[in-house]
Amino acid sequence: MRKIMFIIITLASVLALSGCRTIQPEDELTIYHYAFYDYMDTFISITLTSTDEQEALAHRNAIEDIFSLYHHISTSYEPLPEDSPYQNNIYAVNQQPGTTLEIDVELYDVLVKAQHYHDLTDGYFDVSIGKIVDVWKTLAQDFKFSHQDPVEILKSAFDTAMDALDLIEVVEDPFDIWQEDGRYYVKINSEHVKIDLGAISKGVAAQKACDYLREQEMTYFSISAGSSSITLGQNYRRQDEEGVYYVSLANPLRPENPRDEPTTYGMIYVKDTGVTTSGNHEQFALYEGLRYHHIVSPFTKQPTHEYHTVTIIGDDAGLLDAISTALFSMSPSVFDDWMETHQETLGIEVIRYNVDGTISTFLTNTVFEERR
Amino acid sequence: MQASDKTQNKRDLLLVVLLFIILGSAFLVFRMVAFTADASRAHIYYGIASEPIVTIDFIKGDIITHYRQPVPEGYENIYPLIDEDAQTITLLGDFAVGGTRQLVIIRYDFIRRSVQVIEEQSPNNICSREGESTGWPLICLPNRVRIEFESTDEDFIV
Repeated sequence: MRKIMFIIITLASVLALSGCRTIQPEDELTIYHYAFYDYMDTFISITLTSTDEQEALAHRNAIEDIFSLYHHISTSYEPLPEDSPYQNNIYAVNQQPGTTLEIDVELYDVLVKAQHYHDLTDGYFDVSIGKIVDVWKTLAQDFKFSHQDPVEILKSAFDTAMDALDLIEVVEDPFDIWQEDGRYYVKINSEHVKIDLGAISKGVAAQKACDYLREQEMTYFSISAGSSSITLGQNYRRQDEEGVYYVSLANPLRPENPRDEPTTYGMIYVKDTGVTTSGNHEQFALYEGLRYHHIVSPFTKQPTHEYHTVTIIGDDAGLLDAISTALFSMSPSVFDDWMETHQETLGIEVIRYNVDGTISTFLTNTVFEERR
Repeated sequence: MQASDKTQNKRDLLLVVLLFIILGSAFLVFRMVAFTADASRAHIYYGIASEPIVTIDFIKGDIITHYRQPVPEGYENIYPLIDEDAQTITLLGDFAVGGTRQLVIIRYDFIRRSVQVIEEQSPNNICSREGESTGWPLICLPNRVRIEFESTDEDFIV
């Protein structure tokens, strides 16, 4: 009897406690999460998979190097550190209009892309209007909307901003870039120009990180650069669903009415692609009931009020970053025409949350479920 | 007769041990299985309010303050106190020592999607002894601070 009881207790203990530990085969991948807080004023989080922790750490360090590089060369807030390995950053370039400066090839490539996207969007994407963007950034920051204390921009402050904008010109040929004997140069052509790479450098860096992981033949990963941009491989946790990620779209109406509005308004199911949203819902100030923010049309020097968000799905995070910014400033008819011309060539899809509360979709493959 | 009582006692003891092991294991398994999904957000509540005072958004890496904690005169700081460098959120608990209400300091971790009460004064220190939580609720009494997790099926919000 004692032996029987002993066996029962032993078996019960083994069976019960075996649930506490998952036994993994040696070749099974482990998911690693890493985050960076110091680059591009953004919370950057990555997940990647590896069978070896040291290998995962090496990938993490390589990706941090990429974001660090693009942060330092594209920042317009501060000079490079004295011991920096880089030649000149955008801050230095902006400080010296009319002066030719040598830059690193990575910054040169970002500026080449910026010029290309400027042409591709018929001028709606313009990195040279940093001084105009700064006026709106300051206003949106000084009167930043909070549902706890929903004040509007003071009329005097709004009028002062308008006066400041009147003094800033949008320049036709804002800067030159060229290469000579394997060296790279930039020159700003006007005092009115300030190059702001905020709408492209984060996307370019995310795409470089994605390219790195693909070179390492990594299948399962994600790179989230802030709340507006993600670059995805496949989802290791959803291998039984062909590796898709569930991506919710932020409800832009929530900031003004957080008690009644849900956090999101819909969901898409994606993998091996990028998703970027430009919107007026993250940092804005109200004036006469309209949201003012830092996405500015180079043609009117003002934020437009056609859409709350423009979400774009496609393969190149740098392109998505730039194009979503440009699309946000287009009128609906210009937007629709532009999409008709370029959607197929660029392989992009768009979900647009209009200010009247309607949703317009330009989808080819992606499944979008509206949830309102 | 005595021998029979001894056998009976041993059987009772074995039964108690067996039940202890099974129930203990079941508790451990429940705690591990029921709260293994990655949380999307953690909500911190104060008092009887149905609206959280702070939300930790693990997906966006963001801390959202919903309202200021009502604090009596004589307390200098504004609560909740958010320290992004230390990754802590501090509330004023209801438990008073010598007439002074004590702080409840909560540390969050965006990567691990976890929350831990790292400092609080209370008779039994139950919530700080719970350690780091990735899903199970933390309830601090009599400080009247509680933390609940929210898991959704989404991986990201953009």
